[in-house]
Amino acid sequence: MSVRDILSSENELTHMLGAQQAIVLSTRIRLARNLSDHPFPGWAKAAQRAKVAELCLAALHAEPRFRRGHEVRMEALSELERAALVERHLISKELSGGKGGAAVISRDQTVSVMINEEDHLRVQVVKGGWHLRAAWHIAEQLDDALGAALPLAYSERLGFLTACPTNVGTGLRASAMLHLPGLCLAGHMDKVARALGQDGLAVRGWLGEGSDAAGNVFQISNQQTLGLSEDAILRHLGGWVKHVVEQEENARLRLLETEGEKFVDRVARAFGTLRHARLLTSGESMLNLSLLRLACDLGILPEARRATVDRLMIEGQPAHVQLRAGMELDSDARDARRAVVTREALADFPEPSSPPTA
Amino acid sequence: MGKTVPCSVCGATATVHLTQIVQGQVTKVHLCEGCAEKGGAGDPAVFQLAGALSQSEVPPSLACPNCGLNDADFRKRGRLGCPACWTAFASILDPLLGKVQRGAQHLGRGPAGGVLSADQAKLRLEAARREMSEAVASEDYEAAARLRDLIRTLEGQLA
Repeated sequence: MSVRDILSSENELTHMLGAQQAIVLSTRIRLARNLSDHPFPGWAKAAQRAKVAELCLAALHAEPRFRRGHEVRMEALSELERAALVERHLISKELSGGKGGAAVISRDQTVSVMINEEDHLRVQVVKGGWHLRAAWHIAEQLDDALGAALPLAYSERLGFLTACPTNVGTGLRASAMLHLPGLCLAGHMDKVARALGQDGLAVRGWLGEGSDAAGNVFQISNQQTLGLSEDAILRHLGGWVKHVVEQEENARLRLLETEGEKFVDRVARAFGTLRHARLLTSGESMLNLSLLRLACDLGILPEARRATVDRLMIEGQPAHVQLRAGMELDSDARDARRAVVTREALADFPEPSSPPTA
Repeated sequence: MGKTVPCSVCGATATVHLTQIVQGQVTKVHLCEGCAEKGGAGDPAVFQLAGALSQSEVPPSLACPNCGLNDADFRKRGRLGCPACWTAFASILDPLLGKVQRGAQHLGRGPAGGVLSADQAKLRLEAARREMSEAVASEDYEAAARLRDLIRTLEGQLA
């Protein structure tokens, strides 16, 4: 199967709809693991990386979960294909830019394992909506299978040994992707991010490390991996996510109360821009789609339309636009293509209207 | 032009200057463009790591007997060379872990089915009892039930 097939097949993030996903877009578990007696990928020579890839791929292909899944090797992909997989969160920027990298992706795209990223193995489980425990159980099972098949670098004192000291121990990074337009519009997001940072959680943008919070989407994850059990890490994150979701809900209620018709006007203008623009930059598109998404949550647009908005957020990213066009495009041409795709997708959307009063 | 400050990671001229205040403690980190980009200057984990690396006192010319990485390589890259580096660089890593991690002892699962040694089971049991009282205090009864099961399993293993 090609990258195009992976991108066009339906999965939880692009084709699922539920009230669950109104604020928490997705939940993610990542485990960092390494083989004992092999240098870490960043320090290994090409032949050593190839050996590690061979061992890891053999173990992963024996896993029923990856039967009929996808295997992608970075060398075999074009720059554009790699970029699109990064935009989909199926692989990381580091893997796409590194040497000797590969990934195995389950057919439903819920589970993927990166090989020769910063660590030999990076297990990743993504569930649409808020499903921290379910995602953890899948990761735990896969971790058991990998531990039985491969000799993993592990110490009783330090746990799973990783290339970077910030991942050692559990190797666990648990995160939630949240859409927080209410807190952003109210100007409270800085305060929230500071509070999370002070309690050991990191707040990042849509594409992880060093990225902007395009479309008011934020990723919240644990920072510490050693000296805490997995259960404690998940509980800590879960407690904060619940709290932030409540804050966001309150901010949305206040927004409707204080702005009322003004807010509907704002949504209508965003809709007008997306519906009629001929050139749409990625930033403008994300900002306006974020408002449309919020409108779906608040009943200003039908909730059933949220899945389309989510899909546009993903498919409006630069590599997706170019792959869909079947060629590399400069930024003006990308903006034109993005506008076409957006116009078509929104063609049968109803006009935004005042929300039903409670 | 003001005076130049060296990058906390690699020593080149720093152009990105960050200040973070955690629990009243001020940490300043200076990064060159390359290191800032590589690490993502906005990433708190990298920030903490760079800060801790720049402050740690390093015994000169330490090298891993297994993979050949030396302390200068580690300070420059912020990444270790192989699993054996964790032993070779313990004198650098232990104080660093104290800064960027919650504790110095692994309290999570073991490889292949989470089989724990007796020592680890004991540590895990202590932690689970602590976590259970926290969970009860915060009225998280689902977690408390899970921890109660874990405590029973560990007690059974140690009996």
